[in-house]
Amino acid sequence: MPYLSISHVTKQFGDTVVVDDFNLDVEKGEFVSFLGPSGCGKTTTLRMVAGFEIPTSGKILLDGVDITDKAPNQRNVGMIFQSYALFPNMTVAQNIGFGLRVRKEPEAMIKQRVDEMISLINLEKHAHKYPYQLSGGQQQRVSLARALAIHPQVLLLDEPLSALDAKIRISLRSEIRAIQRKLGITAIFVTHDQEEALSISDRIVVMNMGEMEQVGTPFEIYNFPTTVFAANFVGTLNNANGEVVDPAKGLLTVDGVQFESATDLKSRSKGDKVKVAIRPERFSFAAEHKKANVVDATIESITFLGSVVRIQIKIGNTKFNMDTFNNPFLELPKIGSKEQVTCSKEAVLVLAE
Amino acid sequence: MTTTSVKSPATRKRLVSGLIFLVISLYFLIPLGATFYWSLRGEKDVLGFEAYRKLFADTNFLPAFSESIINAVATIFLSLLIVVPTAYWVTLRLPKLRPIVEFITLLPFVIPAIVLVFGIIRLYSRPPLLLTATYDSSRVLLICVYVALSFPYMFRSVDNGLRAIDVRTLTEAAQSLGANWGTILFKVIFPNLRVALLSGALLTFAIVIGELTIALYMAQHTLGPYMANLTRSKVYEPSAMAIVAFAITWAAMGIIDFVARGSSKRMVDTE
Repeated sequence: MPYLSISHVTKQFGDTVVVDDFNLDVEKGEFVSFLGPSGCGKTTTLRMVAGFEIPTSGKILLDGVDITDKAPNQRNVGMIFQSYALFPNMTVAQNIGFGLRVRKEPEAMIKQRVDEMISLINLEKHAHKYPYQLSGGQQQRVSLARALAIHPQVLLLDEPLSALDAKIRISLRSEIRAIQRKLGITAIFVTHDQEEALSISDRIVVMNMGEMEQVGTPFEIYNFPTTVFAANFVGTLNNANGEVVDPAKGLLTVDGVQFESATDLKSRSKGDKVKVAIRPERFSFAAEHKKANVVDATIESITFLGSVVRIQIKIGNTKFNMDTFNNPFLELPKIGSKEQVTCSKEAVLVLAE
Repeated sequence: MTTTSVKSPATRKRLVSGLIFLVISLYFLIPLGATFYWSLRGEKDVLGFEAYRKLFADTNFLPAFSESIINAVATIFLSLLIVVPTAYWVTLRLPKLRPIVEFITLLPFVIPAIVLVFGIIRLYSRPPLLLTATYDSSRVLLICVYVALSFPYMFRSVDNGLRAIDVRTLTEAAQSLGANWGTILFKVIFPNLRVALLSGALLTFAIVIGELTIALYMAQHTLGPYMANLTRSKVYEPSAMAIVAFAITWAAMGIIDFVARGSSKRMVDTE
């Protein structure tokens, strides 16, 4: 039985369906991210798990207990907010101990737990400071400690890194992940930042317009997106219109140029129009021994991006981006030259709309 | 020549600002100074605090003053009890009701005190709502009326305070940590509204201390009617009384400023 089960959950505000038939099972200790653009329903889903919104239909079970209609203060769920939400009138230690005091835990136990949490987030020297005396990153760490102090069954993180600068964001996300692993706590993380989701999660739920587009590991989501939206939202992508030539062999054409795809095309018929996607880094200059998907391309432009060189190539009449690692000892092709490029059949994705 | 032409508009602006400040200051300070001067003339040919001594020696002053203070404290307590949860709930759950609540809280500005008091006397002078039969029951009624009079000040202060903090997120954070509504209000919201509550409370205090019309018609022995009576029978003491009332108001303002300074330091960077 899954630890957290969100089953056929729908949320409507008036006539607007914000979350539509959301289904997800989360295992104990798993770190799941909800990834999507603003307004895709990811935060609303998180808020339904927290109890701040009640689903219009569907059920939420936590460790086998139906919590769908329970008040937020009756669920044992820890929440971290984008704006930290530390109580300005309380010190770091008082903020962390707040949930335990509400639960009327013995004072000695509260002190011990607060000390544990403060040491977990390495803020021993700041225990008696007020939130305004801390930096954004420190405040968010206090918020994490406060949420963890109550031993929550699930930790919910609502874009906790969005208000921080880039460097702090990267270090804090590693810290959050390390603490989550150390404590083995189940966590749901809401973000619109694909890099954040890819780097931190066990699984990612890509959401769009209230619906789940794809659920999978970061590796699956990035390498094998199943929808145009998921493919475009996560990473950079070349999109093209194709036509199925031989469904059994996975053959299709883009502008008359033939490609072989590993995507199962058996449900398609010859002549079907399809959306084809290839990641820029999956292209390479063709070595002589390569046989599959070796196509002629014209070099249109070359852009130096530091660790990566982005080369725009034209195959037929369609322009694609091709990324190669920067190697100062290799000569780049000349603009306008004709080259042979290749990509594996696994790199040629045929996507659902 | 060029330098002069560049400087002159700024200089002129400073002069005009200074002049406006001076005129406004004089507008306030001349009557105040005159009142203070008049209050010092209690003794013939000598400037001194005789009027103040007589005022504090008057056996009716302290009972009237203490009664007004008790009324003010009761009004503040009741008003906070009504306004804070209302404003909090409107901010948190019913933002669409804000214009209606604002309109209701503004009614005491629209309805003249004389109309209000006659309406109240008519309504509460007969069974089943006979509240004017005894002095004490009238006093309770008076406090209730004062609570209504305090609404515009109290609601606005509390509302501004609530807008300055992220009420929704703080509430949700407290809820997720297991807090019930009582704990959220008393441990999270009230402490962070300290300045707003104090400001509303002190404005209410000032109104209740000086209120005349309603207290007079409800036959209450408070400071307002006492001052009115004093004006009719004495020459210098009313001025002394006005200065004392003014000093109390300024002391109240000073307390607000002092608390606000401490608190504003604390609120920095918590948004």
